[in-house]
Formats: sequence, C-alpha cells, structure tokens
Amino acid sequence: MRPFSYQPASSPSDAVKATSMKPGASDKRGDGNTVFLAGGTTLIDLMKLDVSRPTGLVDVNTIADKALSEISFSKDGLRIGALAKMSAVADDATVKREYPMISQSLEKAASAQLRNMASMGGNLLQRTRCSYFRDVAWKQCNKREPGSGCAALDGQNRLHAILAVSDDCIASYPGDFGTAFVALDGSVEVEGPKGKRTIKSSELHLASGSSPSVETTLQPGEFITALVVPAGNWARRSAYLKIRDRESYEFAAASAAVALEMQSGKLGEVRVGLGGVAGKPWRSMEAEAVLRGQSFNEDLAQKAAEAAFADAKLHKHNAFKKELGQRTLVRALMDVAAMEA
Amino acid sequence: MASKKKDPVKAAQAKQADQGENTIPPKPKPPENDTASMIRASQERLEANRAPEAKKIGSIGPEIARYDAREKVMGQAQYAGDIPAPGAAYGYAVSSPVAKGMIRATNTQAAEAVPGVIRIYKHDAMKGRLKPVKFFNQGGPASTDMLVMSGPEIVHDNQIIGYVVAESYEAAREAANLVTFDIDEAKSSATFGDEGVTTYALAEKNKDWKDPVVGDAEAAFAQAEQKVEAEYFMPTQHHNPMELFSTTCHWEDERLIIHEPSAGVSVLKAGVSTQLGLKPENIDIISPYVGGSFGAKVTMTPRTSITALAARDVGRPVKCVLTRQQGFTQSTHRAETRHKVRLACDAAGKLTAYGHEAWEVTSRTDAYTVNGTENTIHMYAWPNATTKINVVEADRNTPGFMRSPPETPYIFALECAMDEMAEKMKIDPVEFRKLNDAQTTAYKNKAYTSRSLNQCLDKGAEAFGWSKRDPKVGSMRDGDWLIGYGVAMATYPTALSAAAVRIKVMADGNALVQVSAHDIGTGAYGVAAIVAAQELGLPIENVKVELGDSRLPPGPIAGGSNTTATISNAIAETCNRLRLKLGVKDGQSILPALKGLGAAEEQYNWAFEGAPPNAIETLYKGGAPFGGAAYGDKLRFAFGAEFVEVRINERTREIRVPRITGVFAAGRIINANTARSQLLGGMIWGIGSALHEATEIDSRAAKYTNSNIAEYLVPVNADIPNVEIIMLPEEDRETNALGVKGIGELGNVGTAAAIFSAVYHATGKRVRDLPIRIESLLTA
Amino acid sequence: MNDSTRSPFFTRRNFLSRGAAAAAAPVFAEALVGAAPAQAQASSAIPPGPAIPMSLVVNGQKRNFAADIRTSLLDAVREKVRLTGSKKGCDHGQCGACTMHVDGKRVLSCLTLAISVGDKPVTTIEGLAKGDELHPMQQAFVDHDALQCGYCTPGQIMSAVACVNEGHAKSDSEIREYMSGNICRCAAYPNIVAAVNQAKSQMKRS
Repeated sequence: MRPFSYQPASSPSDAVKATSMKPGASDKRGDGNTVFLAGGTTLIDLMKLDVSRPTGLVDVNTIADKALSEISFSKDGLRIGALAKMSAVADDATVKREYPMISQSLEKAASAQLRNMASMGGNLLQRTRCSYFRDVAWKQCNKREPGSGCAALDGQNRLHAILAVSDDCIASYPGDFGTAFVALDGSVEVEGPKGKRTIKSSELHLASGSSPSVETTLQPGEFITALVVPAGNWARRSAYLKIRDRESYEFAAASAAVALEMQSGKLGEVRVGLGGVAGKPWRSMEAEAVLRGQSFNEDLAQKAAEAAFADAKLHKHNAFKKELGQRTLVRALMDVAAMEA
Repeated sequence: MASKKKDPVKAAQAKQADQGENTIPPKPKPPENDTASMIRASQERLEANRAPEAKKIGSIGPEIARYDAREKVMGQAQYAGDIPAPGAAYGYAVSSPVAKGMIRATNTQAAEAVPGVIRIYKHDAMKGRLKPVKFFNQGGPASTDMLVMSGPEIVHDNQIIGYVVAESYEAAREAANLVTFDIDEAKSSATFGDEGVTTYALAEKNKDWKDPVVGDAEAAFAQAEQKVEAEYFMPTQHHNPMELFSTTCHWEDERLIIHEPSAGVSVLKAGVSTQLGLKPENIDIISPYVGGSFGAKVTMTPRTSITALAARDVGRPVKCVLTRQQGFTQSTHRAETRHKVRLACDAAGKLTAYGHEAWEVTSRTDAYTVNGTENTIHMYAWPNATTKINVVEADRNTPGFMRSPPETPYIFALECAMDEMAEKMKIDPVEFRKLNDAQTTAYKNKAYTSRSLNQCLDKGAEAFGWSKRDPKVGSMRDGDWLIGYGVAMATYPTALSAAAVRIKVMADGNALVQVSAHDIGTGAYGVAAIVAAQELGLPIENVKVELGDSRLPPGPIAGGSNTTATISNAIAETCNRLRLKLGVKDGQSILPALKGLGAAEEQYNWAFEGAPPNAIETLYKGGAPFGGAAYGDKLRFAFGAEFVEVRINERTREIRVPRITGVFAAGRIINANTARSQLLGGMIWGIGSALHEATEIDSRAAKYTNSNIAEYLVPVNADIPNVEIIMLPEEDRETNALGVKGIGELGNVGTAAAIFSAVYHATGKRVRDLPIRIESLLTA
Repeated sequence: MNDSTRSPFFTRRNFLSRGAAAAAAPVFAEALVGAAPAQAQASSAIPPGPAIPMSLVVNGQKRNFAADIRTSLLDAVREKVRLTGSKKGCDHGQCGACTMHVDGKRVLSCLTLAISVGDKPVTTIEGLAKGDELHPMQQAFVDHDALQCGYCTPGQIMSAVACVNEGHAKSDSEIREYMSGNICRCAAYPNIVAAVNQAKSQMKRS
C-alpha cells in the first residue's frame, strides 16, 4: 500500500473540493489521485494489492448528513442514500416487499460483515475480480496498464465475461446489486466540481471497449449521493437468481435479475439483468424484446435466453457461461412468472 | 479359454516371492519381527498394573470438552503471531514475479527511500550464510533442497528472492513492492501436458522404490468377465490453514528464540540448526497453539532462517507474516495427480485384478511423491495387481503432504473405479465392496489387525437410508432437483512414531504431562490429559499438559495422524513406570502413594514396537521415525464408509450436498468429543475436495491465478447442512498396546468418490476430473 | 446443554506456574505509546506518515497510540493496543477471522482503516466475557466443540453474537447463510450452528 493523506469530509461539497487536493512534494509514491473512501471493501483491498495507489483519501463516512444514508419511498419510486449500507437496504421491509430483486441481490452478495461495511454507491462501483488485474506481477492488463494487453484472453478465464467484452478486456463485472439496478433502470445522483447531475445506470458503466481502464462515466471528483429506482408495476414481481459453485460468499458464475408485469399469463413490461457474465452491469434488451407483450411459457423463456446470449464471445474456460447464463435466465423467468404478485 | 490361462491366485502366490520391499528413505527398514506379539507383550505389562479408571475404558471414550477451548473462545490462546515482541521490526518476503529465470540485478533504490526501511536483502544476500539442508523425503527437515536467496536462479513462481526489514508492516510491504529485478526469464513448464516437463518412472530414479506388484494382472485382465479402465484427475490443492504462516525471531546473545506455528518443532529446530550452523541447544521453537496445519506446518520452509538472520543483523526481534498469496508458494501443497485405474472382475463379482498407474507433479528441485499404491494394493481381495508411479518435474515449488497425502488422490481414483465396476456388474456398490472385502491381502500375504469396513458399510447403509436408493440413474428427484446417493470407503493407515514423555506428579494430586507433540486443532492436549488421568487414577482436571515447545522432551510431528496413538502409548508407559516406581498396586489410583511425597517424576522414551534401534536417537535429533501401517507382519488401518446425498438443479446444475453420513471404526477413541470433530472436519474437507477446491495454474507462466481464499474455494457454513457421524466400537489388540488408530486424516478419504458416485446416480455423468463443477454437468 | 461437555479442564489454575518450559519463555513487556491523538477534523487533511497519533475506544477503554496512517483497524488493535484475540487470516476481507463490532455492527477490521474509526466503540473477542464468566456464545462454542484449531474462533464468535443480535438466527438455514462470511478450515460448521442455536435463547434472557 502506498502512503496517502487522509481527510475526513464534512459535506458532499467538502468531499468534492477535497479531491482536488494536491499531494505534497515529499509524497510522490502514489499515483497523484485523491479518491473517496466509503466502505473501503474494494478500495483498501486493491490498495493492499498495490493495484490502487491513491495519494489521498477523502473519508465520506464522516459526513453528518443523514439523507446520504436514508432509504425512502414515494410514488416515483425508491431512493437510497449512497452511503446507506448494503445490509440496511437488504433488510428494509419495504424494499423486500416492493423490490424483492434488490433485496435478494444484496443478501446474496459478499458476507454479512462486508454488507455492513459497503455503501450502496461504492458497491455499484465494485471492481472486477479478474486475477490478472488483481495481481500486479502480470504485465498484461489493459485495465491496470492501458496498452499492455490482456492476459485473460488466453489465460485462466473461467470466471470472465462473455457479454460486453472486447479483444482488449474480458473482465467480469462482479456486482449483484448493479445487475438488479440496471434492470430496473435506476439512476445515480452525482455531485461534482461542476455541480449536480443525474446519470442513468445504463450510462454509468462502460463496456470493455478499447479503453478498459476507464470503467465509468463519472468525472474526476464526482461523488454519488443517491441511487434512485423508478416505480413500476413489475418491481414487485421480481427476483434475483444467483448461481455459483458454493452456496454462499462467492461471486456469481451467472445470475439473472428478472422483473415481470404479467396478467393472465400475458407479459407486459419486462426487465432482465444478467450478472457474472458481462463486462458491465448488463440489461438484456434482446431478451426483453422477445418477452414483452407475449404469452409466457417455457419456450418463450428459452427464446429470450437465446436472444440474450446471441452475441456472447466465448473463451476457453468460460464457454460454459453461455449455456449456464441461458439456463439461469430461463429458471429465473419461470420462477418469477410463478410468483404471486 | 480360461483353462489355458494360469490360475491367477496361484500366479499371484508364485510371483509374490519375487517382490521386494517398497520403501523410500527416510522410512525405517520394515521390521521383520513379530510386532503383533511385541504389542501383546506391552499390553500385558500395562494391564498388570493399572488404575481403576483405566480398567474400565471401552473402545469409545468419554465426551470431554476441548482442553484449550476456554482460552480459544476468549481470544487468550496466543498463537505464534500473537506473542508480543516489543521493539520488533517487520520482515516482508519479496516474491519472484516469474517462475523461471536468472536474476541479473536487484534494484532497491526506490525501496530504500521508503521511510522506516531498515534493511533490504537482495536476491543473493544469504549466499554462504545458509548451509544446505536435506529435503524431508530424503531424511532431512526441509520442505525443499533449494537454498533460498543464495544465488541468481529462480525455480518457481513467487520464490522468495528478497527480504525487507522495516519499522512497520506498512513500510515493509510498500518497500517490498518497490523492489524490482532485472531477470533473464526462461520458458517455464507448469504441469501435465506442458512442453518441457520431465516425466520418468519413480522406480527408474529411486533405487529404493519398487512398484508394488502381485500375481499376473495382465493375464487376469485378459480373461476377465468385466473390466473397468478409466482415468481420474485430482487438481493442485492448498491446505490454506486459517492462520497465516508467520515467524518471529529474536536473539538472546547466542540463543535464538523462534515463535512459529509449527507441527514439528523438533524438525524445525534441527533444520534451523543445520541451516544456520547453530548448536541445537541454542535454539528454542515455541508453538503451543497452531492455527491449523493439515500438513503445511511440519517441515522447515525458507522464511524461517532468513528471518532469524535478519533479527541478528538488525539486533531486534523480527516478525514476518506471509500474505495469504505468498503462502501458496512459500509453503507446500498437494500436487496434481493423474490416475489410470483398471479393475477386472469374474462373473460372480469377485475382483481378479487391479491396475493403477499414477503421475504425480513435483518441482525440479525435489522429487516429492506420495506413492499411494503402497496402501491401495491392500484394499480389496484381488489376487493380482500391477502398479506404477511416474514423476513429472515442472517449474513449480515443491509439493508436500496435505491431509491424507496418498489416500486422498489414490483412494479417490480406486473408489471411483469400484463404483464404475459395481455399476457394470449390476451389483449394489455397498454389496460389491463387501463381496471383495479382504481380511488378508494377496500382496505379501498380510493380515489386518482389524478391518471393520463391512460393519461400517452396514451401519452406514442403515443410518443413511440406503435402501431407499433406486439404483436407476436419474430416477430420484425432488421438484427441480435431481437427487443422487453415493457411497465410498474411507481408510487411513495407523502410523506410529516415537515420543519422550515427562510426567510430574505432586503430593496434592496434580500432574503435569510434558511432550513436544502438537495440537493443531486435533485435541491432542485433551488426549494427553485424559490418558494420563486414566492411567494414574487422577481426576482429569488435575492434569496439566504442555505441548508444542522444543524445550520439552521431543515428541512426534503432527503428521500421518500418528499423534494420538503415539502419545497415548508413550504416556501410558510413562504412567506405568511411575506407578511401579511409587509402589502403586494394580487397581489403585496413584493418589495414596503421593501422600508425603514432594513430587515424583518420570521421563520415558517410547518408540513403537519393532522400531529401529536408533529410533529414539533419531527422535532427539529432530527426525521423525515412522512405523505402523503396512510395516512389520500385519496391516494396521482404520476404515470407514461414507454415504452422501447430492442435489443437482435440473436446469442450472449447481451441486449441493444436503447430507452426508460417515461411519468409522478406528480402534480406541480417547475423547469422543474431539474425535467426532476431527471426522466432521475431514468429511467436509472431502466435500470441498469433490466440489470446490482447485488451485488454477496459468501454464504460460507457471503461476497460480487464484491464490487467495475468495477464489480458492473451500466450503462455507451454508454448504454443510447435515453431517452424521457414527463411531463404531472396535477393539484392536495388535495395532498398538492401547489399540488406538489415527482419525485426523480418515474422514476426508473417500468422500470425493462417494460424491462422484452420487453425481452419476443423479445425472448419469461420470465426472472423473475434480472438482466436479457446474460446467461438467451442463452438457448431456 | 450436555453437562458432560463442560470442560473439566476449566478448573485447572496456574498450579504449576506453566512448568519448566514456561519458566524459560522470553518475557516481553509492552509499553503503549502515549501520544495524544490529533482529532480528525473536517477539511483538514492528515498527511501521510509513519507515526500518526491515533486513538481507539476498544472494549470501553480509550487507547492512544501512534501508527502509520495506513494501519488497518486489525493491525492497530493487535500490534498497538496489544489485544491479539482478533486474527489475521487473509487481510483482504475473504475469511472473517478479523471480525469485530464497530458501533455494534460486525465488520471486517482488516479492511477498515484505524484512522477512520474515530471514537466509534470497538468490541473485540476480549470484550465479551465478564471477567471469568463467559458470554453465552463463548460457552456455547465450548459446549458444542464449535472450534478445532481455534484460529477463526474469535471471528466466528463475534460474527455469531452479531448474527443473533441482527435477528438473523431464526432457523438453521438462516444461521448457516449469515455465518458464511466466516471460513473455518477445520470445518466445525455444524457445531457452530448448534452453538448459535444454544446461545440465542440465553442471549435473549440476559
């Protein structure tokens, strides 16, 4: 871990201002960037691995503004303060009832301890588990060292992505909640040096294109203050299905976040998110298009799953994820269709 | 046709005379004497003068809470890394970024500039300061022959090629990350199938090894009614004890004190003594608590001597804690193995031949192999067997023993083949094993001192509800979940070693038992206390036990599941001598004799019956004399049967094990409470081995890609709903005087094969490569 | 609870003063650094440094010390406050051995910066028992042999106490799920579940 200065922030604007802090002349051992410290569960981990080398940390947990960790509901939907802990949102009775998919995606992520630490905003920005990214002994990683190549393409890539990938990076987005969030068309409210703005979840993360080192559209110093999920008839009839080798405390091999509006077997609005298989939080417009407005049955679910993975790019060890991803989606669709809502 | 062939049984007997012994150093030459008679004589001697409690003991001992449970639940048990070392500096190993090459230069400028750095050792800084030590399998104390930081050569990934000492852990880690190297990297070869690995038959290079063979297996295969021939694979696995590997060294003048979690303090002391040229009496290894070992903490690994020298150089204690990732290469692991198993059966379902060819990966520096055929050849009543072990040298760190080193892979392969054969023969797999049970085996014509496999199978089948199993593949289900039942045998040889035990008794009836054995979570403290209390006739709470400290009389390594058998017998003998010395009569407690005495003390050097004459000398020199098992005139093994239910989602194919039943017969159980925990942990290890564990290797660079415990999967609590353990009483009067067998490595043998069997039952798929994962079951 | 599993060894006291071996053990004395901590104030950055004055409130006691700014809560408690019950098993949030309660919630101290904790109360395994009287969860772990090597045990117990307090111990399957962040390589899992079940009723009563 490189040395850093530590600054507790008193307000979002104070935090934003603090990120422009310049390192002192004596401390050139870091990368010169000042970053926000929220739960720290990704950041501190990567700093210990020498993958992240910030020169300054701005602690946003010291901000006294309660709105930053509040969970509230209105006719427009759900609003979650960015500093709310994953555990608090997962355990919220209204979230459980009105947005089961969100609650489940959080409960199935990480462990109880990590969920007590990790903030919702930080969780959304969780970094990949690609071992070539996380071990600096590997020279090739376009995410860490732009232009150096991608060691995962021909390496151990069982856990890597097959959607939203490129020839420069096949790292998988590891988050669960992010998958549900993009499926529900959430957005984040952001405060930055140039003021406040809102970013749709579909536009927050970037696919692993030609510059995988740039993962989001957040600008330097921009701080997520809230996560907003619009209301919708489909949210209640939703679920998050996570498939993995062990029963708990593991990242998804494949997951599906499904929400359905359904009446007498006929589908209205449909939402499909796919996790563990994509380079970013992935909403499958292709699957939704197959399903929307149709009479639901297993064949339709299968067609939707095939559409969802039609563009999958497979590598040596992760080729199974196409089949697994499809089956996971079919199972989730069948489960959610059978729900009473 | 069959009449033209030789009778396989007669052929076996004829050929048997030609077979030599199959040992590799440092194992002692097998005693040819009648060990069973010697053991009976010891028994009679012990039984002639015993405390009333000891006379009442049955096969299954009392359930007594763990001796050190209170310290452990309070956070007061001080593990090596917990020992306060004021003024300590922090050591941090610098790891090689490549697996093979020559270092031209170490660049330390940036690292030196980190505030708090005290000293940086370059890649060859230990040259001349570290003397060669022998590899454990060559009779030495070390995990490898490789001399660390003594030259430019890199032979495995993450090899220690530098060492930083700093005022804080943070400064040491940062500086270590800033050390860079100029390396002429060479092409590495990682594992099976990679260009550049060197493969040879073990018997070719190791003149002390002969592959066990009996009868004429090829003839038997040629005339078999039914044959199975299949290849099985077990991947690299890592022990991953929860405690990180650590060493804290500090010097008091010429005396070196080492706090290190060790399951072999005598071995470590001997190793450091040789490596640093110190007198053994000037080295203390202190390790009263060990946070798990599973084989990983028995031999001396490279960090210890470097840390000791660094502490001397900087004139302060130095504490070095390896990271979880470093532990993957700077300690040992279970090597990946391949197995080609053949079985032949006659029309009645009797096995006529067994063939087993195995390939084991090792390093370039040390030929570590586990040679499981020594044991598997005795498992069933086949008259003919042919075996061969091959060694595959790759650019990796040297493997070492990991919980049931030979049995986990070799019995897995054999038991999977047994399941396949039972299926081919349309015989229930439980019945098939019973049909081929052997109380005496063809190879060397040896008899088991006791073998209760059939009883375990029967009891397990009843407890598990095996009769509810519909043998038809894919026939059982619950909603969307396919259900499979599977079974396999568990077995582990009963190893014995030597131990020096000192027992002091005080006039007030308190006693102190001292022996440098190790409690790595096994319950050895309690075992020692219970046996001493029973044999002396004292209340258990009066007995205090000290283990894990090289200043105590030397005891056995915590390896080969020998500790309970070894120290129980050694303590019983010592107690017996103490009783005789004090004139205690048979059937009486020692208590009345203590009245008026200040204290009485007895120290006794015990070695297993039939041990080589130099066993005690070896023990005191830090060696590990081993016997029991298949040595001598008898076979000494514990047995068990494991039954599992798997559930596999019909669509997504994840595999879960909702319940598992294990029945074990392992001689006398000293403490039923901690024994059950050992078996429980073992069975769950077996589940991990079947479904979760695998160290992934990137062959391009011979590097591990999941050297952490988020991606190296071991079972978590949610994976383990229901485990049932039954211990069958088994009285064995020939395995050792107390009739104790080892159980620490019994539970995890066979589990993976039982799951293999259950997965097939549920899906019709034979997944012969471990771990069995989702992707193996997605395609038809 | 089965009385036979109550450890008979608990009555032993230091009757032989740790015996011959202990007598020769090196005796270390530890003095805590007594620097006054700089109160972390909003909008004032604390520069990097190897000896930043810090303080923690651990098990009800305020402890002052100086440490590198990068020091984790785990390392601070172990190396500076000298409470070594909490264990380092991975240092990356993958095992749960370092679990402590901060502000009454279970967290991983290896991924928490000591300097960020401020005056929030920290409870470690050493803070559970009342003198010689074990916390019901500690006693339950003894009674059910919910440990073997004992290294993960402090983290398991801290996690288990929180699991009950959170209301996540309603069924065996819920306990298993909510205890899955604590890896036990010795695999005492079923015994841990039994221990949590025993302790939860006693914790309600107390």
